[in-house]
Amino acid sequence: MRPILLQGHERSLTQIKYNVDGDLIFSCSKDHRINVWYSHNGERLGTYDGHNGTIWTVDVDSESRFLVSGSADNMMKLWEVKTGKCLFTWEFPTAIKRVAFSDDDSLIACITEQRMGHQGAVRVFPVNRNGTGTEQTQEPLSMFHPIESKATVLTFGTTSDQIITGHESGKITLYKTKTGDEVVSNKRAHREVVTDIQMSPDRSYFITSSKDKSAKLFEAKTLDELKSYVTETPLNSAAIAPKRPYILLGGGQEAMNVTTTSLRQGKFETRFWHKVFEEEVGRVKGHFGPINTIAVHPAGTSYASGGEDGFIRVHHFDDSYFRARPYGDLEPEED
Amino acid sequence: MPVEIGKSWADDVEELEDQGIEETVDDEGVRTVTQITTNEDGKKVKIVRKFRRVEKRTLVNHQVAERKTWAKFGAEKNSKPGPNKATTTVGENVTLKIHPGSKAAETEQQEQVKNPLAGKKVKCRLCQGEHFTTKCPYREVLQSVGIEDVNPDDVPPAGAAAAQPGAKYVPPHRTGGGESMTRTRDDLPTLRVTNVSEDATDDDLRDLFSRFGRVHRVYIGRDRETGQGKGYAFVSFEDRAVAERAMQKVHGMGYDNLILNCQWSQPREARPAPA
Repeated sequence: MRPILLQGHERSLTQIKYNVDGDLIFSCSKDHRINVWYSHNGERLGTYDGHNGTIWTVDVDSESRFLVSGSADNMMKLWEVKTGKCLFTWEFPTAIKRVAFSDDDSLIACITEQRMGHQGAVRVFPVNRNGTGTEQTQEPLSMFHPIESKATVLTFGTTSDQIITGHESGKITLYKTKTGDEVVSNKRAHREVVTDIQMSPDRSYFITSSKDKSAKLFEAKTLDELKSYVTETPLNSAAIAPKRPYILLGGGQEAMNVTTTSLRQGKFETRFWHKVFEEEVGRVKGHFGPINTIAVHPAGTSYASGGEDGFIRVHHFDDSYFRARPYGDLEPEED
Repeated sequence: MPVEIGKSWADDVEELEDQGIEETVDDEGVRTVTQITTNEDGKKVKIVRKFRRVEKRTLVNHQVAERKTWAKFGAEKNSKPGPNKATTTVGENVTLKIHPGSKAAETEQQEQVKNPLAGKKVKCRLCQGEHFTTKCPYREVLQSVGIEDVNPDDVPPAGAAAAQPGAKYVPPHRTGGGESMTRTRDDLPTLRVTNVSEDATDDDLRDLFSRFGRVHRVYIGRDRETGQGKGYAFVSFEDRAVAERAMQKVHGMGYDNLILNCQWSQPREARPAPA
């Protein structure tokens, strides 16, 4: 397959998201810019300009109408996807590290960084979808402070009344959205900071990646570990491929150590692991630096990886990918 | 060529370049783009690219189709439809081969790198038992009879044979000791010492080896530019017996956190060609 290289960022990528239909790719980076691309040909549709700091995170609603972004300039912004207009800005005392839309588009959850005497917090805002979208409330629906270790990543759980967070200590916790009560927690999920969390298509389980060089599948209600994928490099991102039983892992050596080793040793490849058999089944190389974020097309036909090198590589899978049956008849049936 | 008024010279150049591009489509739909440009050396170059466009039709839902008609905004405002070459390029072909066990092969390789001693028997340098030297139960006892017990008095002084009373005079070169005019460096019993610490100096090694007898010459392999040790050295003795004893004692000895490896130096001709 020939990847499409998207060179719209001048600094390292922080997060990539496909919209629900998979025709748009949203990317954000440390260069203060959010780009949106057509996934089929890599054409850039536009940019969302207005942030004045590293943009750590973006998420898009299911109608591809609103985009929410969180940045190191302590602002969370709501954008109109179609025009690139900023509709609303929330301001916080510290940087926003992760944002997420709920499945029903009614809520936005965000993590604010623990810094300058401020506790790290998870806030949930209601989204007013009536009118132009410029009338939002500054008042969070709920707000809670994760105890012990600060939260680094979050996603809504199986339903929008649950939030799952990944923490710096490696634990994962399930909270009630409305009250912030801890429902269940898995303290031994990972041994180091959780770097990414992505839900499965049916939202019944999710994958986490961690700097402890492993990625794991967890049950979304009990947080029981289902599968574990242990690699030899710290991982920055993990994604579940729909339609085929694969897991995509991205990572590589820490950015600060990259210059000390060669490209080969850095292991800047996207690894494909078999979801069930927990075995590596393939690799795709191409990045010159660690992979920071991976997103898979909701229909499983392509995936995009964003690296510390500032490139996004969009790969449309070949027929051979869909035909391959590495384990023959043992292959599990997918939806 | 007369330059039109109100036209920049830069536009002029661009126009000239544009003239060189020709595009033709043959019956089978193969497009041939011929471009004639001048390269850096001032020579005219003809570039021919042939490609075929394949139309791919996909059915998309209405929302997706509608989004394709959206006007561009932000940095892409007023851009032409279609991918912009400045931001979108097609990369080199990459292959993704899905097959089981690619991890197994990898980890095996990794294991080997990680533990090159795996499969090798661990042997104690002191008691020859199957454990590491540092774990040796007899370490205290045996180490004392090791390298440290070399008594300078045991070492025969050079030319000792010649000094023995009542013996006939033997020229130094016949005794194996001493130095003669005809002897070259290679004739001296020389030890090749490897795994030497980078920081070791000539004097350090001379100190170490002169415990066994007279050292003729110490040579440390160094990097030509940095002058740092490369981890090997040659030590020439005057007496073969002394050299042999030194080799036995020093081989496997710990020195500056490294275990020295000591062998007879091979003369240059006899050394196998490097692979």
